[in-house]
Amino acid sequence: MTVTRAIEPWIQDPLVRFVNEAGARLTLIMTPAGQVLAQHGFTRAVDVMAAAALGAAIVSSTREMAKTLGEETFTALNHQGVRHGIFLAEMASPRGPLLALVVYGSESSVGLVQLFFEDLVRELNEACPEEEPTRPAIAADFERDLNDSLASLFGR
Amino acid sequence: MSSDIRAMSAELARNPDSLVFLDLGEALRRRGQLYSAAKAAVAGLEKHPDSADAFDLYARVLVDMGHLQQAYEEWHSTVALDPQHLGAHKGLGFLCYRWGDLDGALEHLESALAADPMDQSVVQALRMVRDAVADLTDITEEQESSVFEGLEGARHGLLMFDTRGRVLGGGMRTELGEDVSQDVAAYVAGGCQEADRSTRILEMGEWQWMIVEGAGGNMHVSRSEADTVLLVARDRSVPSGRLAILAQRAAEVARQWVEAQQA
Amino acid sequence: MSEKFRPALDGITRVRGVRGALLVTDDDGLVVADAVMESVRGGAVAALTANLAARMGKATVAAGIGEANFIHLQAENGALLAMPAPHGVLVVVIAEKDVNVGLARLEMLRAAEAVR
Repeated sequence: MTVTRAIEPWIQDPLVRFVNEAGARLTLIMTPAGQVLAQHGFTRAVDVMAAAALGAAIVSSTREMAKTLGEETFTALNHQGVRHGIFLAEMASPRGPLLALVVYGSESSVGLVQLFFEDLVRELNEACPEEEPTRPAIAADFERDLNDSLASLFGR
Repeated sequence: MSSDIRAMSAELARNPDSLVFLDLGEALRRRGQLYSAAKAAVAGLEKHPDSADAFDLYARVLVDMGHLQQAYEEWHSTVALDPQHLGAHKGLGFLCYRWGDLDGALEHLESALAADPMDQSVVQALRMVRDAVADLTDITEEQESSVFEGLEGARHGLLMFDTRGRVLGGGMRTELGEDVSQDVAAYVAGGCQEADRSTRILEMGEWQWMIVEGAGGNMHVSRSEADTVLLVARDRSVPSGRLAILAQRAAEVARQWVEAQQA
Repeated sequence: MSEKFRPALDGITRVRGVRGALLVTDDDGLVVADAVMESVRGGAVAALTANLAARMGKATVAAGIGEANFIHLQAENGALLAMPAPHGVLVVVIAEKDVNVGLARLEMLRAAEAVR
């Protein structure tokens, strides 16, 4: 089952190229707060939300650890399991910092994921349109936006 | 009713737009509750008419119910929405094989393999279909080997295959006599794809050949005509340089054979 | 780079036509040590060659000729060489198309020894 969906269309093509070249099984592109902008490979909204929350939390706690070492942040993390690896990385974009969470299997490697992640960052920066003016967020807007986002991520 | 099914049904009742119908339908199908599974799939399709996974679920239920033609149509709808849908290509491959359309089965199973190279059920199904193709074709194993007849190692160390790993001629056997042609063709075809990608990204131009030396022998892999790959393998007594010469001779024979097939 | 590997990699890069020499982890495709020209993308060479070596290694085992112990990929404008070393390391060389493969291979063997 291969599903690649993006809330904002400019993310779609670079993400599709990335998952094909890197051999990623699952991918999330999200803000540091855990708001998901695009996903590949997930079939359930609850899994997307859980992965996004966990990924954002890992990056946040790692950032704190980096500060204690006098680093501003660690830009990439990799966790290697027996059958899967998880790659978490931050990237700058015209829309502000973004996070990528990538799960890969034995047919790929962290080296390949890192290699094509560089291309993904470059392509996202090239494809990103000019930022729309922000509007103040209210609780009702947030819930509607969340539901709309999940609908987009699952092709509804 | 199992607690899983109960919980998923409750979630679906709470939120009819939820995608939990996919897991619910699959769980019902596995329990043999095909009517309920079909209801869940159809209801889900009404809410999510663009969901490739919903079509796939419905197709699987239809197969279990014996409605193969309708399942075939639902899987076609699946790949129309998601051309790389693993489940749909597996299902279509199965149906084609069932109906004797071996070429169709090969095409869909190869697409499935491309979607997930690690899926062992697809690897095994492909092997089975390729064996069936080999049995049914007019060209017997003897005739396939005779592509390289007269050349040193025509039957045991010369292999020609296409870029998707389908054997076209020659043969490869281990020291124990086991025919490993198809496995080797599949793996080397994958290596050729990696070679293509590597030389493209590293801006080295097109790759021309590879030599791989193993503990017990050497392999020479080269591009031949019309998207075919030629592999020459010998034991360690044959140096790599000589392999390259053998490969050149075999390439000429392969080129003539391909031209003859295309004529 | 660890000084332990420098002489070995420098020996490889002294071979005419060699554009870069690397020690790479064979499962992750990450660079352990490298000596490459500026124009060479070491990370890309490492990841791609490790993946290629893994795939061709499966082919040699399937063919019954054992684990791959040297790979030479020849392209229109260059060559890639790879040789396994101990501890899950791969010695990788990226070179011009007319590199002296025999000499490069000798130096790669020395580099593999240095990994012990």
